Amino acid sequence: MRKRSKRTKQIKGFLLFGLLLTLILILIVSVVGRQEFNAPHKFALEVLGSAQQGISRVSASLSEVWQKYSELLRVREENLRLREELQKYKAINNEYREAVATNVRLAKLLAMKETLPAPTLTAEIIGMDPSQWFKTVIIDRGSSDGVQAGMPATTVDGVVGQVVNASPHFAKILLANDPNSAIDALIQRTRVQGIVKGNGAAYYMDYVLKNSDVQKGDTIVTSGIGGVFPKGIPLGTVSHVEKTRRGMFQKIEIEPSTDFSELEYIIIVMKKDPLAK
Amino acid sequence: MVVSALFLLGTILLILQTTVLHALPEWFGRPNLLFLLVVFIATNLDVYKGAMLALLFGLLMDIFSGIFLGLHPIVYLLLFFVLQGVSRTLAINEAVHQMPLVALSYLATASSIYLFATILAPESTFYWAWGNEILQVLILAIICIPFFSFCKWIIALLNDTGKRNPFRRQKSGNRYLS
Repeated sequence: MRKRSKRTKQIKGFLLFGLLLTLILILIVSVVGRQEFNAPHKFALEVLGSAQQGISRVSASLSEVWQKYSELLRVREENLRLREELQKYKAINNEYREAVATNVRLAKLLAMKETLPAPTLTAEIIGMDPSQWFKTVIIDRGSSDGVQAGMPATTVDGVVGQVVNASPHFAKILLANDPNSAIDALIQRTRVQGIVKGNGAAYYMDYVLKNSDVQKGDTIVTSGIGGVFPKGIPLGTVSHVEKTRRGMFQKIEIEPSTDFSELEYIIIVMKKDPLAK
Repeated sequence: MVVSALFLLGTILLILQTTVLHALPEWFGRPNLLFLLVVFIATNLDVYKGAMLALLFGLLMDIFSGIFLGLHPIVYLLLFFVLQGVSRTLAINEAVHQMPLVALSYLATASSIYLFATILAPESTFYWAWGNEILQVLILAIICIPFFSFCKWIIALLNDTGKRNPFRRQKSGNRYLS
């Protein structure tokens, strides 16, 4: 009994398989024969196509994102490289500018040196006064270069000051705007003489009589009296004149021709006996 | 060791003041760091070491500043002894007292320099620039606390290094034995 039922099941299975195989074969033969894209194809295509479309879109999106990311990386690298190049060229440009500025400055100094009584010495300022009360600078030339106390210091623009102390390789310059500085000067237009003193920031001219002709804008130069400064070096221009009721002298304020905040190089006028009066 | 280190620190500060700080814009202020160090020495070191350092810093200042040799040593020594006296009677080592201490000390020092310079050169007219002085006072009062902390850290560091030094001679317990 059991064997018969098992055989019956096997026969049914074979029949079902044969039926399905026959149907598939008929479908294949009919499709190949008629070349028809029928409903199952279309259905399958719809399902797979949708999946394909979805995957393609995601893939395309991912690809685009990746591409953009890689491009971004490339752009970033390029940006960094270009920035570096820009910095490099800026530095080169600055060097060129600085070289040109130095060249112009040194050319002016050279021209100035030619007008001064020889010999002269160019020095670089390496230090400024640390206190607020005094105006001195330290230069990179000293007694081994022939610098001595009393020697005048100038720039292209005018008087800077004079040497007060010197060591073998360095020297200290008392700037003309220091309250302790006093320089014999004259008004270029009228040849009126006086003493130019510093007030910490600018100058004022002392000992000019009230009846002397002084006007705003007049140029003040060194008089050469006293033998410290050569004659005719610019000191500044008159910025304010006041004749007070009391006293014999005028109150004259002077705008310095030298910008003391931008001093870099100065010229030391070398003299055999700088402190000789 | 501490004296040498503080002297080196003072020298470096002076060099910075004469070079780097002058490159800063004027409105930024140029703090007188060496002055701060003198105040620190006066309130933290003993008389002999402190007085020696104050004198040395004054001599150094004379080299770089002004034309009157001897002005800064006198002013710095005066400041040192006044602060020594004050620090012995008042508790000025706390941070809250250091700011007014530095401000008043700076004004006293500036006044002394002004007074001495006027006496030494009566023919010259010195100008008291309130704007610059107030700016300097404010800057010094602000930076004094971190500056003093830095100095204390250096001293502590040097003391620790000294204690760890294996070549340091160990004193015996008996002071009569050499």
